Amino acid sequence: MLDLIELGLFITLLVVGFFAGSIVEKRHYASIRKREREYADVLAYAVRFPPDRVTPQRAFLVHGTVVISSDYFKTFVAGLRNLFGGRVRTYETLMERARREAMLRLKHHARSQGAKLVICVRFETTTISTGWAASIEVFAFGTALIPDHNTALSFPSRSVAAA
Amino acid sequence: MKLENRLPAEGINSSDENPLKELAWLVVGSLGAVFLLAFAVSLAAQWLAPRIPYKYEARLAATLPPFATTPNNDAGRAVQAELRAIADRLAAHMDLPDEMVLRVGYRDEATVNAFATLGSQVVFFRGLLTKLESEDALAMVMAHELAHLKYRHASAALGRGVAIGVILSVVSSDLGSSAAGNVLSTAGLATLLSFNRDQERAADDAALHALHAEYGHIGGAIDLFNVMKTLPGGQRESSSAAVELLRTHPLTNSRVDAVAQWASDNGAATDRPRRPLPPAIAALRSVSKP
Repeated sequence: MLDLIELGLFITLLVVGFFAGSIVEKRHYASIRKREREYADVLAYAVRFPPDRVTPQRAFLVHGTVVISSDYFKTFVAGLRNLFGGRVRTYETLMERARREAMLRLKHHARSQGAKLVICVRFETTTISTGWAASIEVFAFGTALIPDHNTALSFPSRSVAAA
Repeated sequence: MKLENRLPAEGINSSDENPLKELAWLVVGSLGAVFLLAFAVSLAAQWLAPRIPYKYEARLAATLPPFATTPNNDAGRAVQAELRAIADRLAAHMDLPDEMVLRVGYRDEATVNAFATLGSQVVFFRGLLTKLESEDALAMVMAHELAHLKYRHASAALGRGVAIGVILSVVSSDLGSSAAGNVLSTAGLATLLSFNRDQERAADDAALHALHAEYGHIGGAIDLFNVMKTLPGGQRESSSAAVELLRTHPLTNSRVDAVAQWASDNGAATDRPRRPLPPAIAALRSVSKP
């Protein structure tokens, strides 16, 4: 009897995890794609030095950080995956969402400070908790540059094209 | 350098595949693996247990509280002595290991059951004795339990339980997820149960041999099954807590058929006159009747 209750609870958690997790993920992706278009005018690169012809007037650190949790379903599937090896697909979407969200927050930070160019963008990942509810933090940071207005710089984004 | 802004690529770092498909494959694969492993370990334990000298089982049993205890009143001790006499007569036909010293216990409890366990102990409950109408039916139960001792089923079950427990604890800690481990251990227990039924069949077979050798017919087995059919919850595997006998020894059709088959294969009669119950055991019936 107790086993049945345990099994029922487990299946309920799995079903709730699956549906809630799917809805959350779908919404998050929709929000990410929408904001990626909105922040298209903030450029972010992994290069270590300012591109040619960019003469920075000011440079400062910007960052974006996000903490994101797995759901019961994802953790269970990943747990079974550990037995056999291979792509942990349920965590791949989790990590991708976290990275893109962190990047968006970095761009938000840059734009709020008046910058439209960020170079030397790096990512850090921290595991916050493991076990049945794994959470990760993704931290994106980079150097925001506000170029000299006189510098001839070919920006493709709307704001520059309008200028 | 021309600075460009492009939207992140989709579908490279993650896949659109429905995660339920992955779950289905993983569940089927892992349950299959655990079943196979548990099955192999069960077979190994079952093979190994009777080959471990009995003295090790006796030594282990000595560390546990005894099951076959002596009743604390004269009537109970008389019942125990009668059970013991029947056990000794049957054991003479059963080819038990030499170093096995039988211990027959009697408990004045309403539970309808009897069991055999580690250290060659057989225990009968009053609840069962009051249901049986002849010594033959009682002898069938006794011979069945003695057969469990002969085949060392208790130590096989213990070895299997320990081995499967070790496997499952390794599997579930490897998963790092208690939920997945629970599901797998439940699967392992199901394997354990199905093996016990094979052992029950083997015990029935050995019991029929002993019954035939001692009484010249196997009517006791037929009587016993008829009694079991009349118990509350008869023919079903789940029943009230008092009728443990049906839970631990399910009266399946295959079990009844096996007895009929054995009778016709060995030319054993089933309709000879039965021996009456010994006096102290018979007295239990008259006490509980009114």
